[in-house]
Amino acid sequence: MNAIEVTNLSKSFKIPHDRKTGLKSVLLGFLHGSSGSDTFHALKNVDLQVKKGEFLGITGPNGAGKSTLLKLLAGVLQPDTGKIQINGKLSPFLELGLGFNGELTAEENIYIYGTILGLTRRQIKNRFQEIITFAGLEKFVHTKLKNFSSGMLARLAFSIAIQVDADILLVDEVLAVGDEAFQKKCYEVFKKFKKEGKTVILVSHDKQIIKKFSDRVITFKDGKI
Amino acid sequence: MSSYYTNLIRQFSLTDFKLKYHGSVLGYLWSLLNPLLIFGTLYLVFSIFMRFDVENYHLFLLLGIVVWTFFSESTLNSMQSLYSKSNILKKIYFPRTIVVIASNFTTFFGFLLNLFVFFIFMFFTGVGFSLQTFLLLFYVLCLFFISLGMSYILSALNLRFLDIGHIWRIFLQIGFWITPIIYPLSLIPEQYHNYFLLNPLYLIIEGFRYSLLGMGTVTLLTIFLTLFYTIVIFVLGTLIYKKLSYKFAEWV
Repeated sequence: MNAIEVTNLSKSFKIPHDRKTGLKSVLLGFLHGSSGSDTFHALKNVDLQVKKGEFLGITGPNGAGKSTLLKLLAGVLQPDTGKIQINGKLSPFLELGLGFNGELTAEENIYIYGTILGLTRRQIKNRFQEIITFAGLEKFVHTKLKNFSSGMLARLAFSIAIQVDADILLVDEVLAVGDEAFQKKCYEVFKKFKKEGKTVILVSHDKQIIKKFSDRVITFKDGKI
Repeated sequence: MSSYYTNLIRQFSLTDFKLKYHGSVLGYLWSLLNPLLIFGTLYLVFSIFMRFDVENYHLFLLLGIVVWTFFSESTLNSMQSLYSKSNILKKIYFPRTIVVIASNFTTFFGFLLNLFVFFIFMFFTGVGFSLQTFLLLFYVLCLFFISLGMSYILSALNLRFLDIGHIWRIFLQIGFWITPIIYPLSLIPEQYHNYFLLNPLYLIIEGFRYSLLGMGTVTLLTIFLTLFYTIVIFVLGTLIYKKLSYKFAEWV
């Protein structure tokens, strides 16, 4: 059985010539009868099957539709046409550390992000020590996040993210942050995921990383594979 | 999935609550002080400078302010809460209603504290509970769901048009004065009284006053109207919000 099945998927965005967030500009635009926007086809009739346990790498230039595909799979965007079928629990990592708040402590933020990712309070409590140790932040549990360096933030976010019990993982350019040591840790986690038979979709510009891990690589160009 | 829903609501409310009062010396007391200060000022003006012929005017006024404050904070906080989560909305899916529900729980908690303070005032004035008090539960529920329904509509639209927030603030200002909060309805010429039946907040404030202070008029018609407005606003709000929520990620 396929973990992900995408058939004939299309998505387009309207790109206004001028930013119309104000009521006035929308009303004026309406009165003057100007359409004032272009349609951008981010994805054009995409078909894609991902097998269970497969590690799929996606590359391609900016604006080719990689992130749009991930957002559609994650359910953040709704497709114009086409169907997406997902078998299993899916966890998207389009950005690490969602919901992090600088005014709260590391401990409080672990609960926020963990909950957003679908962990229960008890699960977070049980794995709390593991998260802190993996991130190497034992001394900073009660420090407000605004006093963290960006490296510390990335480590904390990643340590929480890997606690998620999902069958399918969507990963978008997460490796762009962090130093070499941190990236190495990430690779090890990827290897572990692979061993555990999880389905992973990894999006990156870095063709070397993609080639190293992926069972299959697809390249996007102008909204097509 | 349903436990995800409740976990997230709890976590978001908790976070909202912590952030609202973090770092301020008086902490949670601020949520009590705000309506009390408004009350103090208005009480000074309208019971000493200009007098209304209302028995226990301070209770009459405080109760109106407490109810109005919940309605206005509920809508304003929800708009702010959804807007501040723009980035999360773009990156992960969760049922979007959670944001507004969580925000309303936080505001509702503040409302309960305010109501508690009102009870203390009541106690010291010597006004006791009576048989009508059981109606309070009905009006609290109506207030909550009307506010939730309005919060849905406003916070969704505000994400698309940021003007909505400004317009709504002006509207709340006007609403505060055209709703009988600081003055009794009896001050208004009788021929206009029917127009007030169009204002759900008037009906609710009147209901609170009737159930706790034995003032004002509550009839089967006003109870029915209150319930009617509550259902219409809540259902309409939920439908609009759910329909628009598919577009949130594209708007923000």
